[in-house]
Amino acid sequence: MKTLRHNPMAWVIGTLLVALLPQLASMPAHLVAITLAPIAWRGAAEIRGWRPLPTWLRLGVTLATLVVLVGTYGNLLGRRAAVGLLSLMLALKLLETFRARDARIVASLSLFLCATQFLFTQGLVMVAYGAACTVGALVALALIARREAFAVSARPAPPGRGVLGELGFGARLAALAVPLALALFLFFPRWGSPLWGVPERSLDAKSGLSDSMAPGTIQSLFMDDSPAFRAIFDGDLPRRQDLYWRGPVLWEFDGRQWETSWMGRNHQAERLPDPESAPYRYEVQLEPHERHWLFALDYPAVIPPEANRLSLDYQLLTRRGVTRLTAYEMVSDPGFIDSPTLRNTLRGMALALPDDFNPRTREMMERWRAETDNDATLVRRVLEHFNQEDFRYTLNPPLLSRHTVDEFLFETRAGFCEHYASTFAVMMRMAGIPSRVVTGYQGGWYNELGNYVLVRQSDAHAWAEVWLPGTGWTRIDPTAAVAPSRVERGALDALDARRYLFDYEWLRNVRNAFDWVNRGWNDWVIAFDARRQSGLLGFMGIGRLGTRGLVALLGLSMLVAGALVVPWLWRLGRDRERDPVVRQWRRFLARLRKAGAPVTVAMGPLEVAHAAAGHPGLDPVRVSRITQSYMNLRYASRVEDREILLRELKRFRTRSET
Amino acid sequence: MDALDTAKLSPREDAAGDRRDRLFAAMDTVNAILLGKSPQVQLAFGCLLARGHLLIEDLPGVGKTTLAHALATVLGADYQRIQFTSDLMPADILGVSVYRRDQEAFEFHPGPIFADVVLADEVNRATPKTQSALLEAMAEGQVTIEGRTQALPDPFFVIATQNPLDLVGTYPLPDSQLDRFLLSISLGFPDPEVERELLLSEDRSSVLARTQAVLSPEDVRALQADCARVHASDALLSYLQALLAETRNSRWFEVGLSPRAGLALLRCARAHAFLEGRDFVAPEDIKAVFPGLARHRMTVSHGMEASVEDQVAGLLRQVAVP
Repeated sequence: MKTLRHNPMAWVIGTLLVALLPQLASMPAHLVAITLAPIAWRGAAEIRGWRPLPTWLRLGVTLATLVVLVGTYGNLLGRRAAVGLLSLMLALKLLETFRARDARIVASLSLFLCATQFLFTQGLVMVAYGAACTVGALVALALIARREAFAVSARPAPPGRGVLGELGFGARLAALAVPLALALFLFFPRWGSPLWGVPERSLDAKSGLSDSMAPGTIQSLFMDDSPAFRAIFDGDLPRRQDLYWRGPVLWEFDGRQWETSWMGRNHQAERLPDPESAPYRYEVQLEPHERHWLFALDYPAVIPPEANRLSLDYQLLTRRGVTRLTAYEMVSDPGFIDSPTLRNTLRGMALALPDDFNPRTREMMERWRAETDNDATLVRRVLEHFNQEDFRYTLNPPLLSRHTVDEFLFETRAGFCEHYASTFAVMMRMAGIPSRVVTGYQGGWYNELGNYVLVRQSDAHAWAEVWLPGTGWTRIDPTAAVAPSRVERGALDALDARRYLFDYEWLRNVRNAFDWVNRGWNDWVIAFDARRQSGLLGFMGIGRLGTRGLVALLGLSMLVAGALVVPWLWRLGRDRERDPVVRQWRRFLARLRKAGAPVTVAMGPLEVAHAAAGHPGLDPVRVSRITQSYMNLRYASRVEDREILLRELKRFRTRSET
Repeated sequence: MDALDTAKLSPREDAAGDRRDRLFAAMDTVNAILLGKSPQVQLAFGCLLARGHLLIEDLPGVGKTTLAHALATVLGADYQRIQFTSDLMPADILGVSVYRRDQEAFEFHPGPIFADVVLADEVNRATPKTQSALLEAMAEGQVTIEGRTQALPDPFFVIATQNPLDLVGTYPLPDSQLDRFLLSISLGFPDPEVERELLLSEDRSSVLARTQAVLSPEDVRALQADCARVHASDALLSYLQALLAETRNSRWFEVGLSPRAGLALLRCARAHAFLEGRDFVAPEDIKAVFPGLARHRMTVSHGMEASVEDQVAGLLRQVAVP
């Protein structure tokens, strides 16, 4: 195993494994097995000294794998499938990697594979991942080159640096590229949206809200602590119970599932709140969710340029799915009255119910309708019903069958926001009050470190809106009637039990702190688009630049970056001396020269001593002691005093220096 | 050099110490005869200790013969001088077999080459055939005459001289033959003070006549073995190789030094270090012997003005000591 440390093949395999990690995590299990098998074989071959497989077998394996791959993904056109193909072929390449040339190809393509992962996610974790791949590949390439060089020279290779030493070396090489990378990052001409922002829902659609709500839709989101978006408020934060982030508005109920309506989506909002008087001003940084909604507090008063329209039911919609981090400025007015009057078509839509469903509820609501004189009282009565009867808030409700509302109201009485909102809206419609379900997020976690509100997928929520004369569409959250803490403190605190193993408070806090770092990354790196680039250039005193100007600036900055690195490289190439004693000796000679002694690098230690003798700026005793022991070390091969000499060389100063 | 403190030496090396003392005494003696030429004398001794042969390129009358004779005398060795002329035949050097009627057999009469120290004066005056007889003997350490191989004495040291100005009627030694000489030196005119001293003191030949042998041939063989043991470090070999590489890459020279020249350089440097009293080779030793080693082996590229000596000196100033 010891020899593996400096075996280029071990590093090539290691680098490939690291580069494959995210890919393996999102692959079906059988593809993972197929990918790992050739890697395992190659590793064993290296240790046991096996010979390469015959060509026909390699070809057969490759073709069979291709068939499995196409069978799994259907075609090879999608992002996932294409990267899967790359991963598999790269793993199979190891079967024939027995020469430096092939090893070099695998190491380089591992870097390419690593780069493809940025098509899927660009989080901060990917930086560590990319760095690990880069360093690993650099070490592998360096080891290959070193082994080749010494194979040609027939000299014994010098002892390696050890794993940590090699990693440090790789990291130094990678660090050399940092100035160039920075120059490219800052000045490369940016498009409005990145080239890879192509939505793909085939295999790994992002979790998030959808435009329909069936039992259990939101349930899966409760398990997901990944950020949905972050909101940075100007001025005071709204109260937690006012943080209703509006998403899809659902009008159509088929007895089981709620859906958005064509009209609600496609008609424009008739009026907007006055942005001047709206109290909430904030910026939303929305994580990509590949759907069309932008989330905002009730009611959005502006339509940000990122959005395409504000719909009739006040959903902010984009033309294309949100495939990358999107930041937009928002202004919201909670006091705005939505639809003081309700058009008949809309009233019809908001009252429509399928026949033959939930007869017991229908019967009860008709009775209650007769007993109450106005809509507001009826709403209150239903909420009181939820509050006083033994309804429970739980994320693991019993399953419901055909008459979902009946079963929920009279039998199971256990559920979460989706059940309550849906049941409430249906009850309202049965009582003749126009109602709809709104999904979105409720609450959020205030991050003190960064002064922003983080809204996670687990904050997903559903509530109802009823249309009442005078107040228009009015938000009613029946969940709050059952479990007020859901709204006051958040979904997690409304539950008694942990959602899953490791669901601890302190771990959540750690994650929240990490989220702050992640937000910075999003803010400064991912969201660095054409707009921010020109902002930065403006800050640097450079006005508007066209693409051509940017390219010129890029070239210039790369020259500057190169000017930082190249002298270092040049010195490295020229001063190949690795022995610290010799390096210090050269420095010593330079000192003597500076003091005026006519020494050159072409002089041996005796000549140096002779040339420096009697020079006024130099201590003759020290000079002769150094030259003497340098000669003993280098030419008499007496190594005992090496450390003493090294110290003496480092400490040496001419008289004018002290 | 305090590195070679006698206190550090083991008893086995006491004999070696005595030997070295006698060697230094021998050098002093020669220096007392050949005034003001101590670097050349040291090189000559180095050449001897490195089991090489010496080529002296100089004008007549600057002390070539005196040097050779003095060396032979302090070494307690047989000394033969051969004046090379255009009619000199190989047999004149190697010897002949004469038929002895009384014994009814041939008897071999060894030529002047069967001596410990041979001075081949004006070697470029003889025909190539005769030259090569000498040079082969130098290379092999033995001669083959009429089918019989005769070993030459050990130590066997040839000092050949050439007159660089006298070109009429000479057969210049080809490069391949010059390579047989380990070192080439030139004595040059003496300094005025030294020359004054020379003029005032008694005749050199009478000084020589009084001179006693200081070393024995056994001593010389042992010293030669001592020299071969002088340590050459990795760093030193790197420097040596850097010099060789520079001669091969430099545009100043027609051709670079051969690997054989590289080996010769190391042998010379070892001997030089030994004569400096060190048991390891320093870069300075290489530098001291390099001009003598390179001078007759290299030619300046066509069209270059400078002399080989200048170019070699420039090379030494240029190549970094590792």
